[in-house]
Amino acid sequence: MLLLQQIVNSLMLGSVYVTVAVAFTLTIGILNFLNFTIPTLFMFAAMIGWALAYWGLPGGLTGPSYWPVALAVGIIASMIVSLVVERFTFRIMKTKYGDSTEHAIPLVSSLGFLLIIENLVRIGYGTDAQRFPGPSADLTMSIGGIFVRVPQFVSLLFVVVIVIGLNWLLRTSRLGRGLRAIAENPDAANILGVDMHRIVPVVFMLTGLLCGLAGALFAINYGEVSPQMGEDIGTKAIAGMVVGGLGSIWGAVLGGLIVGLTEVMTIHLFGADTVQVAVWGLLLLTLFIRPQGLFGHSAIGKGKL
Amino acid sequence: MSGYWAGILSILAINIVFAYGIFLPVATGQLNLGGAGFQALGAYAAAYASASFGLPVYVTIPLAALLAGAIGALIAFPILRTRGVYLVLATFAFAEVVAGSILNSETLGGAMGLSVPAFIDWQIPVAVAVLVSLFVFYLMSTRFGLTMRAAHDDEVVTDLMGVNIRKTQVTAFGLGAALAGLAGGLYAHTFSFVEIQGFNAVVSIYVLLYVLLGGTQTAWGPIVGATFFTMLPEVLRETLPTVKQTLATLVGITEPVAPPDESWRLVILGVLTVLMMAFRPEGLITRTMMERLQFRRSPSRAAAEVSA
Amino acid sequence: MTTDMLSIEGVSKNFGGLSVISEVSFSVPEGGRVALIGPNGAGKTTMFNLVSGVYRQTAGAIRLRGHDISNVPSRKRVRLGMARSFQNIRLMPHLSVIENVMLGQQARTKSLADMAMPLSGSRWRREAETLLGEMGLDTYPGEVVATLPYGIRKKIEVVRALAAQPQLLLLDEPAAGLNQTETASLRDFLMGISRRGVTLLVVEHDMGLVRSLCDHAVVLNFGRKIYEGSTQTVHEDPLVLEAYLGPRHNVAQGAVTNNGVAGDAA
Repeated sequence: MLLLQQIVNSLMLGSVYVTVAVAFTLTIGILNFLNFTIPTLFMFAAMIGWALAYWGLPGGLTGPSYWPVALAVGIIASMIVSLVVERFTFRIMKTKYGDSTEHAIPLVSSLGFLLIIENLVRIGYGTDAQRFPGPSADLTMSIGGIFVRVPQFVSLLFVVVIVIGLNWLLRTSRLGRGLRAIAENPDAANILGVDMHRIVPVVFMLTGLLCGLAGALFAINYGEVSPQMGEDIGTKAIAGMVVGGLGSIWGAVLGGLIVGLTEVMTIHLFGADTVQVAVWGLLLLTLFIRPQGLFGHSAIGKGKL
Repeated sequence: MSGYWAGILSILAINIVFAYGIFLPVATGQLNLGGAGFQALGAYAAAYASASFGLPVYVTIPLAALLAGAIGALIAFPILRTRGVYLVLATFAFAEVVAGSILNSETLGGAMGLSVPAFIDWQIPVAVAVLVSLFVFYLMSTRFGLTMRAAHDDEVVTDLMGVNIRKTQVTAFGLGAALAGLAGGLYAHTFSFVEIQGFNAVVSIYVLLYVLLGGTQTAWGPIVGATFFTMLPEVLRETLPTVKQTLATLVGITEPVAPPDESWRLVILGVLTVLMMAFRPEGLITRTMMERLQFRRSPSRAAAEVSA
Repeated sequence: MTTDMLSIEGVSKNFGGLSVISEVSFSVPEGGRVALIGPNGAGKTTMFNLVSGVYRQTAGAIRLRGHDISNVPSRKRVRLGMARSFQNIRLMPHLSVIENVMLGQQARTKSLADMAMPLSGSRWRREAETLLGEMGLDTYPGEVVATLPYGIRKKIEVVRALAAQPQLLLLDEPAAGLNQTETASLRDFLMGISRRGVTLLVVEHDMGLVRSLCDHAVVLNFGRKIYEGSTQTVHEDPLVLEAYLGPRHNVAQGAVTNNGVAGDAA
């Protein structure tokens, strides 16, 4: 029973990782771009949400009870920032000669943005962790003797809906076809009339949306936000993405859950300090033994870098 | 020399050695985002050898380089099988595993860190940095350096030219790891204290930025990058409060304002990174730039160019 | 039998389920000048990639001077005496002209000392300078390749291959993008190389160059060999005509002009 309780706990924890991991895998799968701003977008949405809920929204909407609106604004803010990132990474990336590090350019830019966003938030709101005035995170229900926190359960359902929706979008819509064409072969997609300048920002908007949602869910579930909150989640999400396979959405889902399980089990068995070694060890092992992960194609992300 | 400048010189020297450690794999086309891991290996090797066995500095510092280099060469085999994004992730993961392992090791002090009894003044790091720079300049002038740069440009063709790409990459990666470890050893003895929190992911990011922004095409790049980014915080420490005060005066605030947060320096580093990647992705110092400088120096060749 | 520099014996190559080369056999005699021609997508470059070891054949054997090199890794094949150029120039963009040529010498390095000696002032560098001089390319040895015009880069690539001092030189469309004067000078240049005893296997669309340079031609179409014989009679072969012009244009439509068999030569 204890084991089952642990598994349920890890499932809940994993659902946050899953959302961020899906954002990572989406940009890598479609644009072959490891976007390091993702963890900061996650943090940004939550911090903006907190700041608005704490200091009040414009137009007389004040007080902690307006937190859903505050979080929604936070999510939108994170999408806008993501679009700004697109402007300065993908849009003006120009390399004259093909060499093995040219694809590193957007990656390095995104590292720059990571520094900018995280430190601007620190300057604005300080480095301390803040209590998010959301609903009580401790509201629990019991299903057959297993305790489940209601907000976490709702989050899990939410994540499932997002992932299914995203899959549907990629499989059936015209937009999805364009995105998959770019993932397959950017040059060919360009020739076939897929407008890169219109469609690439969509990827970044989706990234902002996913990270924003994850940030909001985190704020509600854990009742605490800080400028550093992205670092830990970011690493776990990257690990989840790698375990699941780069570019695979369902892989990211399964990988995120596996990382959640690994984390909970490691804490249970060896204590909190060993989580870092366990998670990164899992990632490193995956890269050595099965780089394509559980579901990934071996081609994705291999491009010269 | 004042303590302040001695400190700056030490940090600068360590950063240059560290930057060369990342430069070698990057110049071979391998993005290494695990620099902090190798530096930590060197720092802890030196610290442990000094604290537990009382070994002198001239033993502990080479030991730091050897250990980090050996581990680097060893993991280079599985790590360099991965490419592109995978390689970035693998090196990053390696650094995290190193940090996590040290954090959990009671022998190495865990989260408490280790004190290092032997202290070195600025002369030793500076001397080491000069030697390392000379070594890398020499290395880049050899055929081995040529094959490194060729592997960076086009692996398939370099292989067809008869170059053993794998050997080249593993050697460059291992040598780089040794230099990063050497920087770690110098760090341990300069600051007399090591704690694993000082070797986090951000450190790996910084050193990669030094190298990429300095330029990876010539051995000048890491010197320029490391110097620029080591001196930048110092310059900003001086000028930022003045700038902020001036701006405050311009908008009509006459009373003194608080000096800006440390975070501003990181914001400026971030902005510079983004701008450099947008406008000069090959880094500050490029081959073409060095060629131009040489043309200017020899008038006969410049004349030949004009007449051609 | 053993005097063949290169022999291709029943070589096939599949990518996944797609057959790109099927059961092709031909040989290149020592000192010969052989053209490998065919319409676009016929498998010529794939054949080059098989010979130089970028790909491994699915079936068959490739022999260099009688030795089966099928299992020799690509980087070691150049040490056995073959060098190649590429269809789209693949010089190292960040290396200078002289450095690219010195990279071509790599196959002749023997010891660690060759790798560890500084190159400036070395015999390697002097030799590369001499070679560039012989080819009339010694104007900017220090110039970074990426900044040079197309025609120059094309020639440097051939010089880089020559720097390996190969016995067999594989040239993938050496004349592509060159004008008539440049092509003529390229022909003389290649003839000069041939006179030194270097065997040439050339993929080329310019039939004028093919006929004046090569004595022997192998024609591929859809990965199969459809012709092997003299370059002088290749344009009379019905299968070749059909491959280039399609089945409706048979021999009665008239002979192929001197400028090219290929309608799609570009």
